[in-house]
Amino acid sequence: MDQFLSITLQLLEGFKENCILFGVTLLAALPLGLIISFGSMSSFKPLKIVCRTFVWIIRGTPLMLQLFVVYYIPPLLTDGSFKFSDRLTAALIAFIINYAAYFSEIYRGGIEAIPKGQYEAGYVLGMKKSQIFFKVVLLQVIKRIVAPMSNEIITLVKDTSLARVIAVGEILKNAERFTKEGLIWPIFYTGAFFLIFCGALTLLFRFIEKKLDYYKG
Amino acid sequence: MKKIIALLMAGLMTATAFAGCGGSGNKTESKAEDTTAAVATNSASEDDWTYLQNKGSMTIGITYFEPMNYKGADGKLTGFETEFAEAVCAQLGLTANFQEIEWDSKELELSSKAIDCIWNGLTITDERKANMDITVPYMENKQVMVCKKENVEKFSTAEGVANASVVAEAGSAGEDVAKGDAFFANAQFESVESQATALLEVKAGTADIAVIDYVMSIGTLRDGSDYADLAVVESQAFAPEQYGIALRKNSGDTLTKVNEAIQAVADSGKLAEIAEKYNLTDLLLVKPAA
Repeated sequence: MDQFLSITLQLLEGFKENCILFGVTLLAALPLGLIISFGSMSSFKPLKIVCRTFVWIIRGTPLMLQLFVVYYIPPLLTDGSFKFSDRLTAALIAFIINYAAYFSEIYRGGIEAIPKGQYEAGYVLGMKKSQIFFKVVLLQVIKRIVAPMSNEIITLVKDTSLARVIAVGEILKNAERFTKEGLIWPIFYTGAFFLIFCGALTLLFRFIEKKLDYYKG
Repeated sequence: MKKIIALLMAGLMTATAFAGCGGSGNKTESKAEDTTAAVATNSASEDDWTYLQNKGSMTIGITYFEPMNYKGADGKLTGFETEFAEAVCAQLGLTANFQEIEWDSKELELSSKAIDCIWNGLTITDERKANMDITVPYMENKQVMVCKKENVEKFSTAEGVANASVVAEAGSAGEDVAKGDAFFANAQFESVESQATALLEVKAGTADIAVIDYVMSIGTLRDGSDYADLAVVESQAFAPEQYGIALRKNSGDTLTKVNEAIQAVADSGKLAEIAEKYNLTDLLLVKPAA
């Protein structure tokens, strides 16, 4: 029992890294994704091309490779002069960029699904474009994208364990240590941490969907 | 009029979006450039030993495995390699910093200067010698068979091993043995992800024999571990090999300095003392100078 407690605590220490990765990535990638989605929908051609190419590159390469690129390429190019003092920071940058690209496409889908008539109605009423977006369109977009977003966010929870490829001490890496010391169960036990976390998120999203269910749109 | 307003608004939105997008896209790059400029004095021509001395510390790339580097009951890093590396670094006048790495990326870690050496039971091979500077061999290792205790007798002969299923880590010395040694000519081989997975296969009964490092078996097959029902087939040993410390290629003075420090630690009797503590005395290669 003592051993179970001490291993749980050590695994929790690793899971803290997963939680930081999850929280910070979400906070930064949600707004960044919206900005990129504006870029991909822009009528200014060069900007549109840049943003869509960016999304293509990020979605078209494995996150694992992106982690390698962010962490190892700068020091390799500068002979070690520039390197991240902290592996977690490098992992965060890779995760934020990756998830912002995915989120931007979800936003784009949501925004483009709003009928043109609503913008036109806004103009007729004399609203500014920004007013139309924030007061009329955005709320409907949020309602529409809750389901695809929750899907992506739950994927993020589990993707955080990928940070181990650049040796971030996340929970799976922590658990593997025990395997090498002759204890097998901790590596499977880590599943419980992810299940509990994702379970809580699922309940939260169900609550949000219910809250937003007061109108049909 | 409406059209003009719409155009203006669209322009404004595009501009804000552009500013935001451009800014975020360049963030990492400009940060990289700033830092490069700031430490530009750290020139590329500087040799490895000067680099380490200026830094005052040696970052040692490790993975956790008993008895080399592992966390003791008090949660502190300990093990044969840990104590050995600390003794050598003290001799060199450097602080030892241990950094857990992903073993598959060890060369990348080393050349990107994320770590300064790999000191974790690294087997000396010609391939590694060509890509990295490697110190004098300090310890011997061999490949052994691990199976369920009741099968030890059966698997100590080539006839017994015929048709048995054998696993080893992909790309490891164990794999070379299991695939190439005549002893295993009639056995079924499968490669797995790690030595730990190989043991798990035997424990779970999905394989009969795991070919792993002898040093690894010391740490994992002890009493009270989940693998206590497994045992080493002591009568057979394969592919003796030697452990060395890997430094960056063309590390200049560092290699000489580290080799000298290893000998000094051996001469003082400290190395033998550490080896005895972890039951590795028989495997030690660096002897005190007569």
